[in-house]
Amino acid sequence: MKLFLFRLSLSHLTEYPGRTLLGILGIALGTAVYLSISLAAASSLKSFQAGVTAVAGKAQWRLKSPGSPLNESLFARVRRLPEVKAGAPVVESVLEFTGPRKGPVLLLGIDPFSERPFRNYDFQTGTGLDREAWLQFLTQPGAVLVSDRLAAQKGLKVGDPLPVLVGPARHTLKVAGVFHSPSGLYPLEGSLLLMDLAGAQELLDRVGQLDYIDLILKGDGDQAASRLARELPPGVDLVRPGTQGRQLEGMVASYRLNLTVLSAIALFVGMFLIYQSVTLSVVRRRREIGLLRTLGLGRGQVLLLFLAEGLASGAVGGLLGLGLGVVLAQSALALMTHNLSSLYAPVQATEVVVQTRLLLQAWGLAVAATLIAAWIPAREAARTRVRAVWYREELEERLQNRSGTFGVLGLLALALAGFFAVLRFGSGPSLPSFAAAFLILLAFALFTPFAARNLGERLQPLLRRLLGPPGDLGCRYLSGSLSRSAVSIAALACALGMLIAVAVMIGSFRQTVNSWVTRSISGDIFFGPAIFSTAAYDHYLPREILPGLQKDPDIQDIYLYRCVRLPFKDRFLLVIGGSFDVLAKYGGLWFRQGDTQRIMQEVGGESHGVPADTAARPTAPGSPKPNPPYPPLEKGGNSSPLSRERKSPPLLKGDLGGFFGSSKTVESNTDYRKQETENRKPAVVISEPLAETFGYKEGDILALPTPAGVQKLKIAGVFYDYRTDGPSVWMDIRQFRTFWPDTRLNAVRLYLKDKTKIAAVQARLQEAYGSRYRLLTVSHQELRQGILKIFDETFALTYTLEGVAVVVAVFGIITTFLVLIMERERELALLQALGASRGQILSMVLVESGLASFLSFVLGALCGSLLSLLLIYVINKQAFGWTIQLHWTPGIYWQTLVLVLALGLLSGAYPAWRAVQPHLAAILKEE
Amino acid sequence: MIDLTEVTKIYRRGPEEIQALKGISLGIAAGEFAAISGKSGCGKSTLLHIIGGLEPCTSGRVVVDGRNLARLPDLELTRFRRDRVGVVFQSFNLLPLLTLEENVALPRVLQGISYSQAREEAGHWLQEVELAHRRGHKPHQVSGGEMQRAAIARALINRPAVLLADEPTGNLDSATAGQILELFARVHRDWRQTVVLVSHAAEVAGYADRLLSMQDGVIL
Ligand SMILES: Nc1ncnc2c1ncn2[C@@H]1O[C@H](COP(=O)(O)OP(=O)(O)OP(=O)(O)O)[C@@H](O)[C@H]1O
Ligand SMILES: [Mg+2]
Repeated sequence: MKLFLFRLSLSHLTEYPGRTLLGILGIALGTAVYLSISLAAASSLKSFQAGVTAVAGKAQWRLKSPGSPLNESLFARVRRLPEVKAGAPVVESVLEFTGPRKGPVLLLGIDPFSERPFRNYDFQTGTGLDREAWLQFLTQPGAVLVSDRLAAQKGLKVGDPLPVLVGPARHTLKVAGVFHSPSGLYPLEGSLLLMDLAGAQELLDRVGQLDYIDLILKGDGDQAASRLARELPPGVDLVRPGTQGRQLEGMVASYRLNLTVLSAIALFVGMFLIYQSVTLSVVRRRREIGLLRTLGLGRGQVLLLFLAEGLASGAVGGLLGLGLGVVLAQSALALMTHNLSSLYAPVQATEVVVQTRLLLQAWGLAVAATLIAAWIPAREAARTRVRAVWYREELEERLQNRSGTFGVLGLLALALAGFFAVLRFGSGPSLPSFAAAFLILLAFALFTPFAARNLGERLQPLLRRLLGPPGDLGCRYLSGSLSRSAVSIAALACALGMLIAVAVMIGSFRQTVNSWVTRSISGDIFFGPAIFSTAAYDHYLPREILPGLQKDPDIQDIYLYRCVRLPFKDRFLLVIGGSFDVLAKYGGLWFRQGDTQRIMQEVGGESHGVPADTAARPTAPGSPKPNPPYPPLEKGGNSSPLSRERKSPPLLKGDLGGFFGSSKTVESNTDYRKQETENRKPAVVISEPLAETFGYKEGDILALPTPAGVQKLKIAGVFYDYRTDGPSVWMDIRQFRTFWPDTRLNAVRLYLKDKTKIAAVQARLQEAYGSRYRLLTVSHQELRQGILKIFDETFALTYTLEGVAVVVAVFGIITTFLVLIMERERELALLQALGASRGQILSMVLVESGLASFLSFVLGALCGSLLSLLLIYVINKQAFGWTIQLHWTPGIYWQTLVLVLALGLLSGAYPAWRAVQPHLAAILKEE
Repeated sequence: MIDLTEVTKIYRRGPEEIQALKGISLGIAAGEFAAISGKSGCGKSTLLHIIGGLEPCTSGRVVVDGRNLARLPDLELTRFRRDRVGVVFQSFNLLPLLTLEENVALPRVLQGISYSQAREEAGHWLQEVELAHRRGHKPHQVSGGEMQRAAIARALINRPAVLLADEPTGNLDSATAGQILELFARVHRDWRQTVVLVSHAAEVAGYADRLLSMQDGVIL
């Protein structure tokens, strides 16, 4: 009996293959997108985790200094401590292949004699790593062992040269042998080189330094660890290896959550399609249901019957989606690793790891979504009274009467959304705000019946006057067939709403970033090894360059830039040292509150910088940019009368940290220390994301781990920052160097005397250093373009996801009109028999579909505008800490309106045109 | 009023040909009430549709109200259906979205007269069929007989040259059917309305001027 009934259901599915197919496709697409994102995210994180695990090996503990190298002598000292069973010193850096083989590669400098208890790399003696190769590895400069995977991938043989970039410098390494990792895990998908410690230190310009020391302790781990920790010099931390993976996870959590939520939207829109499909089938089979009920079918069975129909579509669509999702995951992974690498840290996942758990999850989600969507109309069907002649118009009337109630429910949902939007738990992206987004979508879906009914009724007199009977009837059909059209209108409105919201958000964000680059990044030329790739923290400007720049007659001022990245709570934190006096002079940093000049002076400008009255006043947010932006300063900054009067030594451009052997600067450093001892906490400024993520405010104290121990720093200001690589702390570079005592620079900004010479100076710098180093010389304009390009790449995936949701919704609107008009074939024929012309019938259908599309647009635009506010002011703020200035983009509204109207009219016109073609009589033939 | 000569109708379904009408010649004068009967599938509805301009014939000549339907362009044919013909169907065929009054007014509205006037006229015609009290109801809220009376009012509102009815009583019980047939007779009597009515029912004989019976595509 049951089987027979389900066969009946199945035959209904196959009776309208087009409609069923679109429903299935909608679910399939939604599932596919959702799955591909979760697979890609899992794969890239897994690959990263595998790398972290592989590099950690069996190490239990790791000695590190926050953002700085350890002194080599520490290894000898620690190794001799009684708690330590084994120790291994390591330097590491991500290099880049040049020449025909591109891509990042991790270089580990190891002591092969200390390594064995840790990573147990199998130095395959059989495959060429004989005594001679071994000797070569230990003694020859540039000799490396490559992983067997890398050798296989790139076809490397012993003796092959390997051209690489070490930071900015070009080097050629040599393959001395191949090794194998018995654990099978490799970082960067096998892109791993091993080098002898001493050779690596030399190559990386870290002689006498270590990046970390891995340890295995004797006896009870934790007790030994706490004993050991007491013996460590200040600034050296004992940590668990592998925390790095967790920090990356924390860092990309927001990125990932945003994508996951976006990808779920397509599925959500797909639910409307299923709802639609089952409702249509209920409406069409109302007589059959009545008959079956008279024949003794129970309510529950009717419910099951229709649930089964939804379930069949969901299960099949879900399965299709799984296949499609795995295929799509490949492209999503490529985009995602590109994003993650340029935003956070090098990730090189090339293969999608198909996890059964994720497959089941996506499929379960698809099935659950369809069940929920099918349940509502199935319940309606089950309520049918036995033997009642159930007119569709009764259902329509019920819906029309309830449309007000739905509207009130929608208002409630909106109110609840408002409540959730202001609610906040902890830091990072929070569920209430996503719930708020969902509630907004729901609210507008609930408004749809009310809006459709009212739009139809209100416009009827007007359109009747304008278009005659077609206008009149079109309006009536709109408000009179809610059961069929409202759902599609709602689905399309939701998809459009999301599209508009995301477009407005991205557009605003882009504008904000654009004006941020203009306003708070000054400089004519940005010069360094990695201007855009913020993940390259250990890429330094070659030492020989700065003196040359200082002598350059075209250069007025030099801004020094030094950056380290350290773990901070569950995130990474950038600590940046910069020449604040140059910033004070030329502008830079855009503070969310407080007087820019005062903050700048507090951080670095006051005792060493330029007098306030000769310095440019950096623009405060909201105030117009001064024109010209860079007021003239006399060369070297030391011939200004005011400067001469000052007691502190004259300022030389770029010579602020004074780590180039000048005695004057040593004095200035002691000055600095003196200030600290005078119980004045050093002042820093922090980025808005740092303030937002951890709840710091202006005037708070920040406890910052540094190699010189934990430092208590006063937060003088919070500035807007849209870098994607995490929260940051900025301080004067002299201050920085008291904590990180080295003289390295990551980059410099050059301020020219003559702005017309930018291109000439760029060319000259490339000519002077380009052959030995790969250094970028980027003009301000190029910097802006580069940043916006990265920006666009980052959001490419977002747009793609949105596009899919809209495609699914468009499926919905097409099916709706196909079905709606086909069902009305008879009525249309009757109208023709009564004397309506084809033109009148066509325009009647167009009025209806046009109004429906227009309504979707209006609801979508309202919903999208609200959502964009939520995205901008709540979700993004929580997830990333960015304040985005709202920039209205009318373009997206016009574009969606045109798109939707065109699609809506076409999907109405096609079936209408078909309906007026055949001979009337054939349709009107008595049943 | 109606003049058919050698009218044939062939339905083609793939290679199969069904000859629904096999050369029908027939004249019906203005003011005449003709009733057509015959076995199911003999071609009655087809004939009626051809007269009403709902379907073209395959060959032969169809002249209704002075118009040669085969020669009329689509727009003229639409106008002919709208202004000169009223049709009543077995299954009432009212638009479910509209009230009875609006259904009745529809042909006038399609002619382009003002809504208020069309409704006024519709009110008048509903009174004629004794449905004035039901004017605001939707079709699903009234009985079958009432629906059919509204359909007749709709067919008459344009004062058509011919009133065509295809088994108008087929879905009704015999008492109601009698009322409907009485209505047709009254219309015919009072306004000298030309009526062509298809029916199986024997009692139709009591109302019509002329009885035609069909068999297998021809008039006997
Ligand atoms: N659209 C069509 N395609 C093919 N054959 C058709 C079509 N319409 C009618 N026929 C055939 O033409 C013949 C005449 O049909 P018609 O509907 O005129 O019969 P009828 O006399 O009205 O029958 P009934 O009393 O059952 O209504 C029948 O054999 C029918 O099968
Ligand atoms: Mg018939």
